[in-house]
Amino acid sequence: MMSQLIQSIVDALSAGATLGLAALAIGLVFGVIRLANFAQAEIITGSAYCLIFTWDLGWYVAIPLSILVAIAMSLLMEFAVFSRMRTANPATLLIASFGLSFLIQRVYELMFSNNVRTAPVASGLAQTVEFAGVRVQLLSIATIVIAGALLLGLQLFLTRTSQGLQLKAAAADFKTARLVGIPAGRVIGLSFALSGILSAAVAFVLTVQTGAVGPSFGVQITILALVGAVIGGIDKISGSLAGGFLVGFATSMLATWLPQEMSNFKDAFVFVLVIGVLLFRPSGLLIKGRGVART
Amino acid sequence: MSIGDNGSARGSIGSGLVVENLHVAYGGVPAVRGISLEVKAGEAVGLIGPNGAGKSSTLLAIMGAIGRTGRVLVDGRDIAGLPPEKVVRTGVALVPEGRHVFAELTVADNLRLGAVGRRDRSGYAEALEQILTMFPILRDFGHRQAGLLSGGQQQQLAIGRALMSDPDILMLDEPSLGLSPTAVDTVFEALDLIRGAGKAVLVVEQRAEFTIAFCDRTFVLHDGEITLTLKPEDAEKVDVLTKAYFG
Amino acid sequence: MIDRTATSDEVALSAPRGLWYRLGPIWSLISLLAIVYLVTLVNSFLGDSVQVQLQYALVNLIIVVALQIFIGTSGVLSFGHVAFVAVGAWTVGLLTIEPELKRNLLPDLFPFLFDLNAPWFVAVLIGGIVGGLLALVVSPVLMRLNGLQAGIATFALLGVVNQVLTYWSSIGPRSGQSMVGIPDVLNLQTTMLFAMAAIVAAWLFQRTKPSRLLRAAREDGIAAASSGINVVSQRIIVFAVSGIVAGVAGGLFALTNRVVQSSQLNIELTFITLAMLVLGGMLSLSGAVIGTLVFSLVDVLLVRMQNGLEIGNFIVTVPQGARAIVLGLILVGMLLFRPSGITGGREFVWPFRKDRPLPGMPPTNEA
Repeated sequence: MMSQLIQSIVDALSAGATLGLAALAIGLVFGVIRLANFAQAEIITGSAYCLIFTWDLGWYVAIPLSILVAIAMSLLMEFAVFSRMRTANPATLLIASFGLSFLIQRVYELMFSNNVRTAPVASGLAQTVEFAGVRVQLLSIATIVIAGALLLGLQLFLTRTSQGLQLKAAAADFKTARLVGIPAGRVIGLSFALSGILSAAVAFVLTVQTGAVGPSFGVQITILALVGAVIGGIDKISGSLAGGFLVGFATSMLATWLPQEMSNFKDAFVFVLVIGVLLFRPSGLLIKGRGVART
Repeated sequence: MSIGDNGSARGSIGSGLVVENLHVAYGGVPAVRGISLEVKAGEAVGLIGPNGAGKSSTLLAIMGAIGRTGRVLVDGRDIAGLPPEKVVRTGVALVPEGRHVFAELTVADNLRLGAVGRRDRSGYAEALEQILTMFPILRDFGHRQAGLLSGGQQQQLAIGRALMSDPDILMLDEPSLGLSPTAVDTVFEALDLIRGAGKAVLVVEQRAEFTIAFCDRTFVLHDGEITLTLKPEDAEKVDVLTKAYFG
Repeated sequence: MIDRTATSDEVALSAPRGLWYRLGPIWSLISLLAIVYLVTLVNSFLGDSVQVQLQYALVNLIIVVALQIFIGTSGVLSFGHVAFVAVGAWTVGLLTIEPELKRNLLPDLFPFLFDLNAPWFVAVLIGGIVGGLLALVVSPVLMRLNGLQAGIATFALLGVVNQVLTYWSSIGPRSGQSMVGIPDVLNLQTTMLFAMAAIVAAWLFQRTKPSRLLRAAREDGIAAASSGINVVSQRIIVFAVSGIVAGVAGGLFALTNRVVQSSQLNIELTFITLAMLVLGGMLSLSGAVIGTLVFSLVDVLLVRMQNGLEIGNFIVTVPQGARAIVLGLILVGMLLFRPSGITGGREFVWPFRKDRPLPGMPPTNEA
């Protein structure tokens, strides 16, 4: 029982870490241009396709390429679509990103067919290791490590470098940031690029987990990440991260511990929780007071 | 006192800020209707008037933060069409209404960000030192989160942050708003120093009497137009003040 | 305060002008009904496959009208209306499948549901009531929220409802299976009449107090609050009404599709119907109608072109899968270049007079 508990906690931490990264990727962009980019799902999918198709060439080719693909797609979306919608309100932007998501999924269908593509991406990580009677997937630990490293790197970047500081300021208050002299185009580009890197990490973890990628590969996690970001407080970078983590953690724990006959309803429980959180803390768990959400 | 004369030699080339025939509209509704004014180096100019007269819009338009027509010359150079981040690099800085310090960042980081818009990086340390001397509280609280400062301290930080970009022209939007009388004194003493250092100061205020006395010239705005130009001695004259408020 | 923000409809109604001026809003209704009628008439000559597609399009039209009633009036986004569609479809499925069949196909049902049966028309109306009740029950919670939060909360509602319908075999098929055996009773003409009825209902509802108050509040939230409009309670009414319409649409979907599966009543349908509304213009009923019809007609055309469409001596062919891409491009392009939709949020007006359009949703100038 004890070992089962620890096992489930490790799994939940790993699920929370993955979703936290995905939500953070959304929150970073939202903070700057108030876009909740649903099409991030397709960045994740694109990066995952890249891993699958290039894994033969060696991980040292496939992983950097998948990161590059994610960054390039992220910047391209900004350049081709979102940069032309600067005056739109968040709801319109969200719908536009839905449209973009739909569109790119269909392009994937056309290019790679509806069937999933498979490759043994980092199959070594799929092993289970036993440690003091606790069996955990190596991937769960790897996920937690990857997320930890990325968060640490991001934190250092945001607090120790001038570019990072500018991004942080812009995410907190974009108008004032521009008045102070922070170049709008550059920080927006930076936020999309970072969001691409985070998406690539999410793509890697999910691809190792499933080994199979289809056109709607990134949709499920992006939906949950968006939900997590909003309940955590999408106005704050830390809010998105925490909300995403929470949703991932809760979903995983419910999946393990809900009684058999209830386990089908785990997402329903999470969604009820989400509505509850929104009712009592509409601007997010980490935003103090009811406040007026910036949306 | 003179009516209709903005007290400036129009179009003169030189250091300082020249605004000519500035118009701003929000969704077709005019907010600023043909304002012309000049602020020379070492001079403080006030803008007063009722809410909605177009004071803030004037400052934001000069910064390029909202759409406008008309000419804005900085040291003789037309800055039409530049976005705020570029306007900062021509030597104009705005201390926005409500201060808007980056609350989650430290005081030191706020000041560091202010330097992003500097034209030359070399004077950074010197500028920082000057600002910390002017506002000692910022030195003491360097590592504190800006959001934890009092209103007056935040206003000092906001001015310090603006000065970090080494502006020739400093604009302030209601710097006394919500501050205690002592805090207001601190702010205006600092503005006096800044003016003395040869910078052009343009300040929007609600507190008419105070502003008229402080500034070299004060313009009264009504419905987006300058209706009066006042000199410091007008601060004593009750009928002038009444006219300033009620048009 | 309300007078100041009165919509052009009211201005038009109260203005002492000519007859056409007074009849302006009615003209918009008549023209919409005429368009729906003509589109149906023309398409019924184009063969069975088009007729089937058109029937789906008309069902979608009712869903989009339901969305428009809420989103267009309140200015609040909803990703949750398909939940009401789903319960409407479920209701009609449960009430119209033969009791014997039900016992065999849906063995886990609550016993009282086995013998519950109703004529299809009554079942559709009950479906509407169930949809409206669900909306009413959840609205005190959901209607307090705005913007992105409202979007996410309504989406969460859809998630909950979808999962309950998918897995709760006491009120439907066993997990993941579909409900079959729904009678074949609905034809194209009847569906068209339902669509027209939905348009009329939405048009009439636009003229009621809750709708007018909420539109005033949408245009100027602060003014509305200071004049004492309780936005939440008005929204609840509007949400419930749109829930009824969505429930009816769900019932008609069940009768059109004759197989009901929860996976068909989920995100994809939410997205498609929202896309139709955005395409036409969220802020007007005309937008809902035009958006749905244009989207559906382009879709019909593209499906035909995928199979090779003969125009004179030419055969126009587009590759398989191009259909969805073109539809996606149309939507994204529309949002980029004309975010207020085809109609720009205006209603049809008598073409021979100048009229003030309904004020569109002003773009916020925030970066």
